[in-house]
Amino acid sequence: MFLAIKEIKREKLRYGLIILMIFLVSYLIFMLSSLAVGLASENTQAIKSWNTQEVVLNKNANVSMNQSTLTKTDLKKADIGNNEALVGENAVVAKHAKRPSVSSQFLGVKKSQFIYKNLELVSGKKATKNNEVTVDQDFKVKGYKIGDKLELNGSKKKYKIVGFVKNAKINIAPIIYGSMTTWKKLRQGMPDVQASAIISRTKGYKYNHENAKTYPVKQFIQKLPGYTAQNMTFELMIGFLFVISLIIIAVFLYILTMQKMHNFAVMRAQGIPSKTLVGATINQSIILVAVGVILGLIVMWITAMLLPAAVPMSFTPSIMIIGSVGMLLTGIIGSLIPIRSILKVDPAKAIGE
Amino acid sequence: MAVIELKDVTKVFGTGSAQVKALKDVNFQANKGEVVLIMGPSGAGKSTFLTISGSLQKPSSGLVSINGKDITKLSAKQSNNSRLNKVGFVLQAYNLVPFLNVQEQFQLVDKVKKQGNLSKEELTDLLKQLGITDLVKKYPNELSGGQQQRVAIARALYANPEILLADEPTASLDSKNVEEVGKLFKDLAKSHDKAVMLVTHDPRLEQYADHIYNMMDGKMAKKK
Repeated sequence: MFLAIKEIKREKLRYGLIILMIFLVSYLIFMLSSLAVGLASENTQAIKSWNTQEVVLNKNANVSMNQSTLTKTDLKKADIGNNEALVGENAVVAKHAKRPSVSSQFLGVKKSQFIYKNLELVSGKKATKNNEVTVDQDFKVKGYKIGDKLELNGSKKKYKIVGFVKNAKINIAPIIYGSMTTWKKLRQGMPDVQASAIISRTKGYKYNHENAKTYPVKQFIQKLPGYTAQNMTFELMIGFLFVISLIIIAVFLYILTMQKMHNFAVMRAQGIPSKTLVGATINQSIILVAVGVILGLIVMWITAMLLPAAVPMSFTPSIMIIGSVGMLLTGIIGSLIPIRSILKVDPAKAIGE
Repeated sequence: MAVIELKDVTKVFGTGSAQVKALKDVNFQANKGEVVLIMGPSGAGKSTFLTISGSLQKPSSGLVSINGKDITKLSAKQSNNSRLNKVGFVLQAYNLVPFLNVQEQFQLVDKVKKQGNLSKEELTDLLKQLGITDLVKKYPNELSGGQQQRVAIARALYANPEILLADEPTASLDSKNVEEVGKLFKDLAKSHDKAVMLVTHDPRLEQYADHIYNMMDGKMAKKK
C-alpha cells in the first residue's frame, strides 16, 4: 500500500485522469442500472405489491392480462380463497378538463378480496362506490387532486378520485383502481365476462378449466409487452460498460507498468520482493477504482436528487453495492494483466542502463 | 576470510555459433574495509561480473560465495533475500524511486526489511557524512546528479549490507566530484567496514582503490 499511495500522491495528474475515466464509467453504470431497475419496477410494481405467485388467464390471451377475458363458464370451478383475487384490466386514457391526459390501466377489483384490502394509500381513502376510483400517486405528480373527476376513454360518465395509492403501476402505466362493475362497463359488448385474471398469492395454485390456464408469475412478467427486450438491452449495455471499464483499467495499468519496468528492475535488484511490487499494483488499482466509484456514487446521488420524479430511476442501495463491487472486481481483474510482466522482470536489466 | 569470492567463474550466453563467453574462469575476492576497482573497456564483461557478484544472475560454472556461503545454488527468493541483506547496489543512473522523497526511499527499505537496517542515529550520521541531511524531503527530480548519487549510496548502505557494488559511479561526474566520490567510497569502506566494489572504466578512481582488477574479453587479471 505504501508504494501505491505514494505514487498516486506524487503523480496526481496521471492518476487523476484514470480516476476521472473510472468515475465516468461507474457513473454511467449506476445511471443505466438505476434506469433499468426503475423501468422494470414500473412494469411490475403492482404485480409485486400484490405478492403474486400464480396468474390465471385465458389460454388464448398470449399470457397478456390486457387481452384476457375469463367468463362465468371459465371460472365455474375456480377456488377463490383469501389468497386469490379477480382482476379486470383495461387500458384507458384518463381525461380531465384542467389536467394532462394520462394513459393508464384500469383495474377492476373486488372489495372483499386481498388486492383491494391491501391497497397502500398515500392519501385519501379507498374507492367504495362504482363512480369512485383510487389512483396511482403518479396522478398526483401530474397535478391531479382528490375530488377531481376523470373521464375514461372519452365516455361521459365521470369517476371521482378519492385516494392515491403507491406501488400501483403495470406496464409502465399508472393504475386506476375501481370496481368490477365499472370495469365491465368499460368492456362493453362482453356481457358474460367476469374478469381478466385470477391473481393468486399461493405458490403452486393451479386452475385450468375450459379456457383458463395458470401461469407462474415469472413467466407472466417475462411476457409483459417489451419487458424482456427492454431488460436485455439494459443488461447488454451494462455488461459492455463493465467490459469497457475492464479494458480501460487493464490498458492504463499495463501502459503504466511498462513505463515503470526499469524502476521495477532496479527495485528487484535491490532485493524488493516481487510480491511487494505486485501488491502495489493491485492496491493501486483498488484505490483508483474505489475513488472513481465513490465519486460516481456521490454524483449519482446528486443526480437522483435533481432529476424530476417522472424519470423512472431507482436509486437503490442494492444496485449501488452490486455496481461498486462489480467495478472493484473489474479493477482487480484489470490489474492482474500487467502482473505477469512484473513477475517476469529481470533484475539484471538494472545494471548497465 | 574474503567477504565475497569468485572461483573459476564462467558465464556463457547463447548457444552454437551465437555463443558468447562473457566471463572466462574469473577468480576474484574482496575483503571488508577495502575498495576494489574492476576496470576495463566496454564489452569486457564488467556488468556481467557485477550481476553475478550481486546474485542477479547465476554463472554457467564456477563458485560465487558470500561469507563462505555458495550463492549460485540459491532459489530466486533466497537470491532476493541475499541481495536485500548482503549486497547494496549503487547503479549508474542512481535509480532512485522517482515518486518517493529521500526519506521515503529509506522507509521503503524498512517496509521490506524489518530488521538489521541502520538505526535512526546511524542514518543521521550517514546523511551527515554524505552531506545530504537537508535533502530528506526532496524528490529525485529535485536533486542534482551528485546529490542523487549520494542518496543512492545512503540508500544502499541503509540496509547495512556487507558488500557495496557500484556500477560506473563516476560516469557523469567532473573531476572535482570524482575526487569527492572516490574519497567518500574509501571513507565508507573504512568507517562502515564494507567491501566496496566499483565497476568502472574511469582511471581517476585508481588512487582510492586498495586493489585493482582489469577485465578484458571476459578475463580478469589483478593489477594491484
